[in-house]
Amino acid sequence: MSSMSSFASRSMWSVDSRTIVYAAIGAALYGVLALFSVVIPGSNNVSVRPAFAIVPFFGYAFGPVVGLFTGLVGNAIVDQLSGYGLLTAWNWHIANGLVGLLAGIFAASSIARLGGSKIIGAAAVAALSVAIGMLFVFSDMVVFGNDFNTALTGSYLWVLVPDLIAGVILVPILALAWEPLKESLGR
Amino acid sequence: MIATPRYLGRGSWLGRRDPRVPLLVGVLTAATVIQIWDIRIIAILFIIGQLYYRSAAIPFRLVRRQWAFAIVFVSILVVVNTVLTGGAIGDYDRSDLHPLFYLPLLGTPISAESLSYGATQLLRFLTFITIGFPIAYAIAPSDLGPALARLRIPEKFAFGVDLTYRFIPSLAADLQETIDAQRVRGYEWDRVRGGPVARIRRAIPLMVPLTMNAIVGAEDTIDAMDLRGFGTGRRTWLRELRYDRADRLLVGTAIAILVAATVASFAGLTKLWVFPLLLALAGA
Repeated sequence: MSSMSSFASRSMWSVDSRTIVYAAIGAALYGVLALFSVVIPGSNNVSVRPAFAIVPFFGYAFGPVVGLFTGLVGNAIVDQLSGYGLLTAWNWHIANGLVGLLAGIFAASSIARLGGSKIIGAAAVAALSVAIGMLFVFSDMVVFGNDFNTALTGSYLWVLVPDLIAGVILVPILALAWEPLKESLGR
Repeated sequence: MIATPRYLGRGSWLGRRDPRVPLLVGVLTAATVIQIWDIRIIAILFIIGQLYYRSAAIPFRLVRRQWAFAIVFVSILVVVNTVLTGGAIGDYDRSDLHPLFYLPLLGTPISAESLSYGATQLLRFLTFITIGFPIAYAIAPSDLGPALARLRIPEKFAFGVDLTYRFIPSLAADLQETIDAQRVRGYEWDRVRGGPVARIRRAIPLMVPLTMNAIVGAEDTIDAMDLRGFGTGRRTWLRELRYDRADRLLVGTAIAILVAATVASFAGLTKLWVFPLLLALAGA
Protein backbone atom coordinates (compact mmCIF):
# COMPACT_ATOMS: atom_id res chain seq x y z
CA MET A 1 0.00 0.00 0.00
CA SER A 2 1.24 3.46 -0.75
CA SER A 3 2.12 5.96 1.94
CA MET A 4 1.07 3.61 4.74
CA SER A 5 3.63 5.03 7.06
CA SER A 6 2.28 8.53 6.52
CA PHE A 7 -1.11 7.73 8.07
CA ALA A 8 -0.08 8.32 11.64
CA SER A 9 1.51 11.67 10.90
CA ARG A 10 -1.39 13.06 8.85
CA SER A 11 -3.25 15.98 10.39
CA MET A 12 -7.02 15.65 10.31
CA TRP A 13 -7.13 18.85 8.23
CA SER A 14 -4.57 17.81 5.60
CA VAL A 15 -5.83 17.47 2.03
CA ASP A 16 -3.87 14.93 -0.01
CA SER A 17 -4.66 12.25 -2.58
CA ARG A 18 -6.15 10.04 0.14
CA THR A 19 -8.49 12.77 1.34
CA ILE A 20 -9.64 13.60 -2.19
CA VAL A 21 -10.29 9.98 -3.19
CA TYR A 22 -12.15 9.02 -0.01
CA ALA A 23 -14.18 12.23 -0.25
CA ALA A 24 -15.11 11.49 -3.86
CA ILE A 25 -15.98 7.87 -2.98
CA GLY A 26 -18.17 9.10 -0.10
CA ALA A 27 -20.03 11.63 -2.24
CA ALA A 28 -20.54 9.11 -5.05
CA LEU A 29 -21.77 6.43 -2.62
CA TYR A 30 -24.24 8.89 -1.11
CA GLY A 31 -25.50 9.72 -4.60
CA VAL A 32 -25.82 6.08 -5.65
CA LEU A 33 -27.37 4.77 -2.43
CA ALA A 34 -29.86 7.64 -2.11
CA LEU A 35 -31.95 5.61 -4.52
CA PHE A 36 -33.17 3.69 -1.50
CA SER A 37 -35.48 5.57 0.80
CA VAL A 38 -38.15 4.46 3.23
CA VAL A 39 -41.27 6.51 3.91
CA ILE A 40 -42.13 6.50 7.63
CA PRO A 41 -45.67 5.08 7.86
CA GLY A 42 -48.21 7.65 9.03
CA SER A 43 -45.85 10.58 8.55
CA ASN A 44 -46.26 13.44 6.13
CA ASN A 45 -44.05 12.01 3.39
CA VAL A 46 -41.06 11.90 5.77
CA SER A 47 -38.62 9.39 4.37
CA VAL A 48 -35.59 7.77 5.93
CA ARG A 49 -32.62 7.71 3.60
CA PRO A 50 -30.24 4.98 4.76
CA ALA A 51 -27.65 6.55 2.44
CA PHE A 52 -27.47 9.59 4.71
CA ALA A 53 -25.44 7.48 7.18
CA ILE A 54 -22.59 7.62 4.66
CA VAL A 55 -22.03 11.30 5.57
CA PRO A 56 -21.34 10.94 9.32
CA PHE A 57 -19.56 7.62 8.69
CA PHE A 58 -17.06 9.10 6.22
CA GLY A 59 -16.49 12.00 8.62
CA TYR A 60 -16.03 9.54 11.49
CA ALA A 61 -13.68 7.24 9.56
CA PHE A 62 -11.67 9.66 7.40
CA GLY A 63 -11.84 13.03 9.10
CA PRO A 64 -13.67 16.35 8.85
CA VAL A 65 -12.51 17.34 5.35
CA VAL A 66 -13.76 14.07 3.84
CA GLY A 67 -17.00 14.35 5.84
CA LEU A 68 -17.58 17.92 4.70
CA PHE A 69 -17.04 17.04 1.04
CA THR A 70 -19.16 13.87 1.25
CA GLY A 71 -22.14 15.76 2.69
CA LEU A 72 -21.78 18.90 0.57
CA VAL A 73 -21.16 17.32 -2.83
CA GLY A 74 -23.10 14.11 -2.13
CA ASN A 75 -26.29 15.97 -1.26
CA ALA A 76 -25.85 18.25 -4.27
CA ILE A 77 -25.56 15.18 -6.50
CA VAL A 78 -28.62 13.55 -4.95
CA ASP A 79 -30.66 16.71 -5.56
CA GLN A 80 -29.27 17.06 -9.06
CA LEU A 81 -29.97 13.47 -10.11
CA SER A 82 -33.43 13.40 -8.56
CA GLY A 83 -34.48 16.51 -10.48
CA TYR A 84 -34.86 18.76 -7.43
CA GLY A 85 -32.02 20.88 -8.76
CA LEU A 86 -28.47 21.59 -7.73
CA LEU A 87 -29.20 25.07 -6.40
CA THR A 88 -32.84 24.83 -5.25
CA ALA A 89 -31.88 24.09 -1.65
CA TRP A 90 -28.16 24.88 -1.67
CA ASN A 91 -28.24 25.63 2.05
CA TRP A 92 -29.16 21.96 2.69
CA HIS A 93 -25.95 20.88 0.97
CA ILE A 94 -24.06 23.00 3.50
CA ALA A 95 -26.08 21.48 6.36
CA ASN A 96 -25.15 17.98 5.15
CA GLY A 97 -21.53 19.05 4.80
CA LEU A 98 -21.54 20.36 8.36
CA VAL A 99 -22.79 16.97 9.61
CA GLY A 100 -19.78 15.28 7.99
CA LEU A 101 -17.39 17.96 9.22
CA LEU A 102 -18.64 17.70 12.80
CA ALA A 103 -18.56 13.88 12.70
CA GLY A 104 -14.87 14.15 11.78
CA ILE A 105 -14.16 16.57 14.61
CA PHE A 106 -16.16 14.58 17.19
CA ALA A 107 -14.50 11.32 16.08
CA ALA A 108 -11.17 12.78 17.18
CA SER A 109 -12.59 13.79 20.57
CA SER A 110 -13.55 11.84 23.69
CA ILE A 111 -17.11 11.54 22.36
CA ALA A 112 -15.96 8.70 20.09
CA ARG A 113 -14.82 6.77 23.16
CA LEU A 114 -18.06 7.26 25.06
CA GLY A 115 -18.92 4.29 27.27
CA GLY A 116 -15.65 2.66 26.32
CA SER A 117 -17.39 1.11 23.33
CA LYS A 118 -16.91 1.74 19.62
CA ILE A 119 -20.62 1.16 19.00
CA ILE A 120 -21.79 3.71 21.55
CA GLY A 121 -19.05 6.14 20.51
CA ALA A 122 -19.94 5.94 16.82
CA ALA A 123 -23.65 6.29 17.58
CA ALA A 124 -22.96 9.32 19.79
CA VAL A 125 -20.78 10.94 17.10
CA ALA A 126 -23.51 10.35 14.51
CA ALA A 127 -26.30 11.65 16.75
CA LEU A 128 -24.45 14.80 17.83
CA SER A 129 -23.18 15.67 14.37
CA VAL A 130 -26.66 15.28 12.87
CA ALA A 131 -28.37 17.24 15.65
CA ILE A 132 -25.88 20.15 15.46
CA GLY A 133 -25.02 20.15 11.75
CA MET A 134 -28.61 20.12 10.63
CA LEU A 135 -29.26 23.31 12.62
CA PHE A 136 -28.04 25.03 9.46
CA VAL A 137 -31.39 24.26 7.81
CA PHE A 138 -32.74 27.18 9.84
CA SER A 139 -31.18 29.22 7.02
CA ASP A 140 -34.45 28.36 5.22
CA MET A 141 -35.68 31.47 7.05
CA VAL A 142 -33.41 33.54 4.81
CA VAL A 143 -33.40 31.43 1.65
CA PHE A 144 -37.11 30.58 1.49
CA GLY A 145 -38.54 33.29 3.74
CA ASN A 146 -39.91 30.74 6.23
CA ASP A 147 -40.69 31.82 9.78
CA PHE A 148 -39.09 30.15 12.82
CA ASN A 149 -41.92 27.66 13.43
CA THR A 150 -41.86 26.47 9.83
CA ALA A 151 -38.09 26.15 9.88
CA LEU A 152 -38.31 24.18 13.13
CA THR A 153 -41.16 21.82 12.32
CA GLY A 154 -41.08 21.81 8.53
CA SER A 155 -37.32 21.67 8.06
CA TYR A 156 -35.26 20.85 11.14
CA LEU A 157 -37.45 18.26 12.91
CA TRP A 158 -38.58 16.95 9.53
CA VAL A 159 -35.04 15.95 8.67
CA LEU A 160 -33.65 15.38 12.17
CA VAL A 161 -35.78 12.37 13.06
CA PRO A 162 -35.14 10.26 9.95
CA ASP A 163 -31.46 11.20 9.75
CA LEU A 164 -30.96 10.39 13.43
CA ILE A 165 -32.58 6.98 12.95
CA ALA A 166 -30.38 6.23 9.92
CA GLY A 167 -27.22 7.61 11.53
CA VAL A 168 -27.54 5.97 14.94
CA ILE A 169 -28.29 2.54 13.45
CA LEU A 170 -25.98 2.44 10.45
CA VAL A 171 -22.89 4.44 11.46
CA PRO A 172 -21.89 2.01 14.27
CA ILE A 173 -22.41 -0.95 11.92
CA LEU A 174 -20.29 0.65 9.19
CA ALA A 175 -17.69 1.62 11.80
CA LEU A 176 -17.50 -1.97 13.04
CA ALA A 177 -17.14 -3.30 9.49
CA TRP A 178 -14.45 -0.67 8.83
CA GLU A 179 -12.39 -1.55 11.90
CA PRO A 180 -10.63 -4.75 10.60
CA LEU A 181 -10.27 -3.16 7.17
CA LYS A 182 -8.63 -0.13 8.73
CA GLU A 183 -6.01 -2.35 10.32
CA SER A 184 -5.27 -4.15 7.07
CA LEU A 185 -4.94 -0.84 5.22
CA GLY A 186 -2.60 0.44 7.90
CA ARG A 187 -4.76 3.30 9.16
CA MET B 1 -31.66 3.65 -12.01
CA ILE B 2 -31.42 7.42 -11.48
CA ALA B 3 -27.93 7.12 -10.05
CA THR B 4 -26.03 7.81 -13.23
CA PRO B 5 -25.36 11.29 -14.59
CA ARG B 6 -26.66 11.69 -18.14
CA TYR B 7 -25.46 14.21 -20.71
CA LEU B 8 -28.80 14.78 -22.42
CA GLY B 9 -28.13 18.26 -23.75
CA ARG B 10 -25.27 17.11 -25.99
CA GLY B 11 -25.10 19.13 -29.21
CA SER B 12 -27.83 21.60 -28.14
CA TRP B 13 -27.27 25.36 -28.18
CA LEU B 14 -26.74 25.41 -24.41
CA GLY B 15 -24.75 22.16 -24.56
CA ARG B 16 -22.28 23.88 -26.88
CA ARG B 17 -21.72 26.71 -24.41
CA ASP B 18 -18.71 26.88 -22.13
CA PRO B 19 -19.55 24.56 -19.16
CA ARG B 20 -19.00 27.48 -16.80
CA VAL B 21 -22.05 29.23 -18.26
CA PRO B 22 -24.80 26.95 -16.84
CA LEU B 23 -23.04 27.00 -13.45
CA LEU B 24 -22.76 30.80 -13.40
CA VAL B 25 -26.30 31.33 -14.69
CA GLY B 26 -27.55 28.92 -12.00
CA VAL B 27 -25.78 30.72 -9.16
CA LEU B 28 -26.77 34.20 -10.43
CA THR B 29 -30.40 33.14 -10.86
CA ALA B 30 -30.50 31.64 -7.38
CA ALA B 31 -29.18 34.92 -5.97
CA THR B 32 -31.84 36.78 -7.97
CA VAL B 33 -34.84 34.63 -7.07
CA ILE B 34 -34.01 34.64 -3.35
CA GLN B 35 -34.69 38.40 -3.28
CA ILE B 36 -38.08 38.37 -5.00
CA TRP B 37 -41.53 37.73 -3.52
CA ASP B 38 -43.61 39.43 -6.19
CA ILE B 39 -45.13 36.62 -8.25
CA ARG B 40 -45.38 38.84 -11.34
CA ILE B 41 -41.59 39.29 -11.40
CA ILE B 42 -41.05 35.61 -10.58
CA ALA B 43 -43.37 34.69 -13.48
CA ILE B 44 -41.19 36.72 -15.87
CA LEU B 45 -38.06 35.01 -14.53
CA PHE B 46 -39.77 31.62 -14.86
CA ILE B 47 -40.58 32.30 -18.53
CA ILE B 48 -37.00 33.43 -19.20
CA GLY B 49 -35.86 30.29 -17.35
CA GLN B 50 -38.08 28.10 -19.54
CA LEU B 51 -36.58 29.65 -22.72
CA TYR B 52 -33.13 29.00 -21.31
CA TYR B 53 -34.12 25.41 -20.39
CA ARG B 54 -35.45 24.80 -23.92
CA SER B 55 -32.13 25.87 -25.40
CA ALA B 56 -30.64 22.77 -23.71
CA ALA B 57 -32.97 20.54 -25.80
CA ILE B 58 -33.30 17.99 -23.00
CA PRO B 59 -35.76 15.32 -24.22
CA PHE B 60 -38.76 15.49 -21.89
CA ARG B 61 -39.44 11.75 -21.98
CA LEU B 62 -36.00 11.13 -20.46
CA VAL B 63 -36.51 13.51 -17.54
CA ARG B 64 -40.26 13.04 -17.01
CA ARG B 65 -39.67 11.18 -13.73
CA GLN B 66 -37.34 13.89 -12.44
CA TRP B 67 -39.85 16.64 -13.29
CA ALA B 68 -42.69 14.66 -11.66
CA PHE B 69 -40.61 14.09 -8.51
CA ALA B 70 -39.60 17.75 -8.30
CA ILE B 71 -43.11 19.10 -8.84
CA VAL B 72 -44.73 16.68 -6.38
CA PHE B 73 -42.00 17.30 -3.79
CA VAL B 74 -42.16 21.11 -3.90
CA SER B 75 -45.98 21.07 -3.98
CA ILE B 76 -46.06 18.95 -0.82
CA LEU B 77 -43.45 21.23 0.74
CA VAL B 78 -45.48 24.36 0.01
CA VAL B 79 -48.77 22.86 1.24
CA VAL B 80 -47.21 21.41 4.40
CA ASN B 81 -45.43 24.68 5.17
CA THR B 82 -48.68 26.61 4.73
CA VAL B 83 -50.42 24.27 7.17
CA LEU B 84 -47.51 24.23 9.61
CA THR B 85 -47.24 28.01 9.77
CA GLY B 86 -50.86 28.18 10.87
CA GLY B 87 -51.42 30.69 8.12
CA ALA B 88 -48.66 33.05 9.30
CA ILE B 89 -46.76 34.92 6.58
CA GLY B 90 -43.26 36.34 7.08
CA ASP B 91 -43.50 40.00 8.15
CA TYR B 92 -47.31 40.11 8.12
CA ASP B 93 -49.16 40.65 11.37
CA ARG B 94 -52.02 38.16 11.80
CA SER B 95 -54.47 41.03 12.10
CA ASP B 96 -53.44 42.25 8.61
CA LEU B 97 -54.38 38.95 6.94
CA HIS B 98 -57.61 38.47 4.99
CA PRO B 99 -58.93 34.96 5.75
CA LEU B 100 -60.87 33.19 3.02
CA PHE B 101 -61.72 30.02 4.96
CA TYR B 102 -60.45 27.80 7.78
CA LEU B 103 -59.07 24.29 7.32
CA PRO B 104 -61.44 21.71 8.81
CA LEU B 105 -60.16 20.01 12.02
CA LEU B 106 -56.92 22.06 12.13
CA GLY B 107 -58.63 25.45 12.09
CA THR B 108 -55.73 26.96 10.15
CA PRO B 109 -56.81 30.20 8.48
CA ILE B 110 -56.19 30.23 4.73
CA SER B 111 -55.94 33.85 3.73
CA ALA B 112 -55.51 35.79 0.50
CA GLU B 113 -51.94 36.43 1.65
CA SER B 114 -51.10 32.79 2.48
CA LEU B 115 -52.44 31.56 -0.88
CA SER B 116 -50.47 34.25 -2.74
CA TYR B 117 -47.40 33.36 -0.66
CA GLY B 118 -47.82 29.64 -1.43
CA ALA B 119 -48.24 30.29 -5.17
CA THR B 120 -45.16 32.56 -5.18
CA GLN B 121 -43.13 30.01 -3.24
CA LEU B 122 -44.13 27.28 -5.70
CA LEU B 123 -43.14 29.36 -8.72
CA ARG B 124 -39.85 30.32 -7.04
CA PHE B 125 -39.07 26.63 -6.55
CA LEU B 126 -40.01 25.83 -10.15
CA THR B 127 -37.72 28.61 -11.39
CA PHE B 128 -34.84 27.18 -9.33
CA ILE B 129 -35.56 23.71 -10.75
CA THR B 130 -35.84 24.97 -14.34
CA ILE B 131 -32.43 26.58 -14.13
CA GLY B 132 -31.00 23.54 -12.30
CA PHE B 133 -31.86 21.01 -15.02
CA PRO B 134 -29.28 22.28 -17.53
CA ILE B 135 -26.59 22.03 -14.85
CA ALA B 136 -27.51 18.36 -14.42
CA TYR B 137 -28.01 17.47 -18.06
CA ALA B 138 -26.31 20.01 -20.33
CA ILE B 139 -22.78 19.87 -18.92
CA ALA B 140 -20.62 16.93 -19.93
CA PRO B 141 -19.69 15.21 -16.62
CA SER B 142 -16.02 15.27 -17.66
CA ASP B 143 -16.20 19.08 -18.05
CA LEU B 144 -17.30 19.75 -14.46
CA GLY B 145 -13.81 19.55 -12.96
CA PRO B 146 -12.14 21.96 -15.41
CA ALA B 147 -15.18 24.27 -15.25
CA LEU B 148 -15.01 24.52 -11.46
CA ALA B 149 -11.23 24.94 -11.52
CA ARG B 150 -11.54 27.78 -14.08
CA LEU B 151 -14.13 29.41 -11.82
CA ARG B 152 -11.30 29.63 -9.28
CA ILE B 153 -12.75 26.97 -7.01
CA PRO B 154 -9.76 25.35 -5.17
CA GLU B 155 -8.32 22.83 -7.64
CA LYS B 156 -8.35 19.92 -5.19
CA PHE B 157 -12.05 20.48 -4.61
CA ALA B 158 -12.61 20.71 -8.38
CA PHE B 159 -10.68 17.49 -8.89
CA GLY B 160 -12.72 15.84 -6.12
CA VAL B 161 -15.97 16.76 -7.91
CA ASP B 162 -14.54 15.45 -11.18
CA LEU B 163 -13.55 12.21 -9.48
CA THR B 164 -16.97 11.87 -7.82
CA TYR B 165 -18.66 11.93 -11.23
CA ARG B 166 -16.24 9.33 -12.53
CA PHE B 167 -16.95 7.02 -9.57
CA ILE B 168 -20.75 7.18 -9.85
CA PRO B 169 -21.23 4.85 -12.86
CA SER B 170 -18.85 2.20 -11.49
CA LEU B 171 -20.41 2.36 -8.01
CA ALA B 172 -23.88 2.11 -9.57
CA ALA B 173 -22.71 -1.05 -11.36
CA ASP B 174 -21.24 -2.39 -8.09
CA LEU B 175 -24.54 -1.68 -6.35
CA GLN B 176 -26.42 -3.66 -8.98
CA GLU B 177 -23.95 -6.53 -8.58
CA THR B 178 -24.38 -6.44 -4.79
CA ILE B 179 -28.17 -6.45 -5.14
CA ASP B 180 -27.98 -9.45 -7.47
CA ALA B 181 -25.57 -11.29 -5.17
CA GLN B 182 -27.82 -10.70 -2.16
CA ARG B 183 -30.92 -11.72 -4.12
CA VAL B 184 -29.31 -15.09 -4.74
CA ARG B 185 -29.18 -15.38 -0.94
CA GLY B 186 -32.91 -14.57 -0.71
CA TYR B 187 -32.62 -10.85 -0.02
CA GLU B 188 -35.36 -8.52 -1.33
CA TRP B 189 -35.12 -4.80 -0.65
CA ASP B 190 -38.66 -4.19 -1.87
CA ARG B 191 -40.27 -6.67 0.50
CA VAL B 192 -42.33 -4.35 2.70
CA ARG B 193 -42.35 -5.62 6.26
CA GLY B 194 -41.78 -3.94 9.62
CA GLY B 195 -41.29 -0.31 10.63
CA PRO B 196 -38.62 2.20 9.59
CA VAL B 197 -35.96 0.62 11.84
CA ALA B 198 -36.54 -2.82 10.33
CA ARG B 199 -36.42 -1.30 6.86
CA ILE B 200 -33.17 0.51 7.61
CA ARG B 201 -31.72 -2.78 8.77
CA ARG B 202 -32.64 -4.16 5.37
CA ALA B 203 -30.21 -1.69 3.84
CA ILE B 204 -27.28 -3.19 5.77
CA PRO B 205 -26.61 -6.13 3.39
CA LEU B 206 -26.28 -3.61 0.57
CA MET B 207 -24.58 -0.68 2.24
CA VAL B 208 -21.86 -2.49 4.15
CA PRO B 209 -20.33 -4.56 1.31
CA LEU B 210 -20.72 -1.74 -1.22
CA THR B 211 -19.07 0.82 1.09
CA MET B 212 -16.23 -1.45 2.17
CA ASN B 213 -15.50 -2.61 -1.39
CA ALA B 214 -15.47 1.01 -2.54
CA ILE B 215 -12.99 1.96 0.21
CA VAL B 216 -10.69 -0.97 -0.60
CA GLY B 217 -10.92 -0.21 -4.33
CA ALA B 218 -10.04 3.43 -3.64
CA GLU B 219 -6.52 2.36 -2.69
CA ASP B 220 -5.71 1.72 -6.37
CA THR B 221 -6.79 5.22 -7.32
CA ILE B 222 -4.77 6.69 -4.45
CA ASP B 223 -1.69 4.76 -5.55
CA ALA B 224 -2.13 5.92 -9.14
CA MET B 225 -2.47 9.53 -8.03
CA ASP B 226 0.54 9.32 -5.72
CA LEU B 227 2.66 7.76 -8.46
CA ARG B 228 1.77 10.69 -10.73
CA GLY B 229 2.74 13.18 -8.03
CA PHE B 230 -0.76 14.48 -7.27
CA GLY B 231 -0.69 17.67 -5.23
CA THR B 232 3.00 18.36 -5.71
CA GLY B 233 2.45 21.20 -8.16
CA ARG B 234 -0.19 23.29 -9.88
CA ARG B 235 -2.59 21.06 -11.78
CA THR B 236 -3.35 21.62 -15.46
CA TRP B 237 -6.44 20.36 -17.27
CA LEU B 238 -6.52 18.73 -20.68
CA ARG B 239 -9.78 20.49 -21.58
CA GLU B 240 -9.30 24.14 -22.47
CA LEU B 241 -12.21 26.47 -21.86
CA ARG B 242 -12.85 29.77 -23.58
CA TYR B 243 -15.93 32.04 -23.49
CA ASP B 244 -17.39 33.05 -26.85
CA ARG B 245 -19.72 35.98 -27.55
CA ALA B 246 -22.91 34.01 -26.76
CA ASP B 247 -21.42 32.84 -23.45
CA ARG B 248 -20.59 36.41 -22.45
CA LEU B 249 -24.06 37.58 -23.50
CA LEU B 250 -25.78 34.91 -21.40
CA VAL B 251 -23.70 35.54 -18.29
CA GLY B 252 -23.96 39.32 -18.80
CA THR B 253 -27.77 39.07 -19.01
CA ALA B 254 -27.90 37.00 -15.82
CA ILE B 255 -25.70 39.58 -14.04
CA ALA B 256 -27.89 42.44 -15.32
CA ILE B 257 -31.04 40.69 -14.03
CA LEU B 258 -29.39 40.11 -10.64
CA VAL B 259 -28.37 43.78 -10.37
CA ALA B 260 -31.88 44.93 -11.36
CA ALA B 261 -33.45 42.54 -8.81
CA THR B 262 -31.09 43.73 -6.07
CA VAL B 263 -31.88 47.40 -6.76
CA ALA B 264 -35.61 46.64 -6.89
CA SER B 265 -35.33 44.67 -3.64
CA PHE B 266 -33.60 47.57 -1.84
CA ALA B 267 -36.28 49.90 -3.20
CA GLY B 268 -38.95 47.63 -1.67
CA LEU B 269 -40.42 46.67 -5.05
CA THR B 270 -40.10 42.89 -4.70
CA LYS B 271 -42.33 42.27 -1.67
CA LEU B 272 -45.17 39.74 -1.64
CA TRP B 273 -47.88 40.64 -4.14
CA VAL B 274 -51.35 39.53 -3.06
CA PHE B 275 -53.80 38.59 -5.83
CA PRO B 276 -56.50 41.35 -5.94
CA LEU B 277 -59.12 38.70 -6.78
CA LEU B 278 -58.35 36.84 -3.55
CA LEU B 279 -58.52 40.08 -1.56
CA ALA B 280 -61.88 40.82 -3.16
CA LEU B 281 -63.11 37.31 -2.28
CA ALA B 282 -61.99 37.89 1.30
CA GLY B 283 -64.09 41.05 1.33
CA ALA B 284 -61.16 43.49 1.61
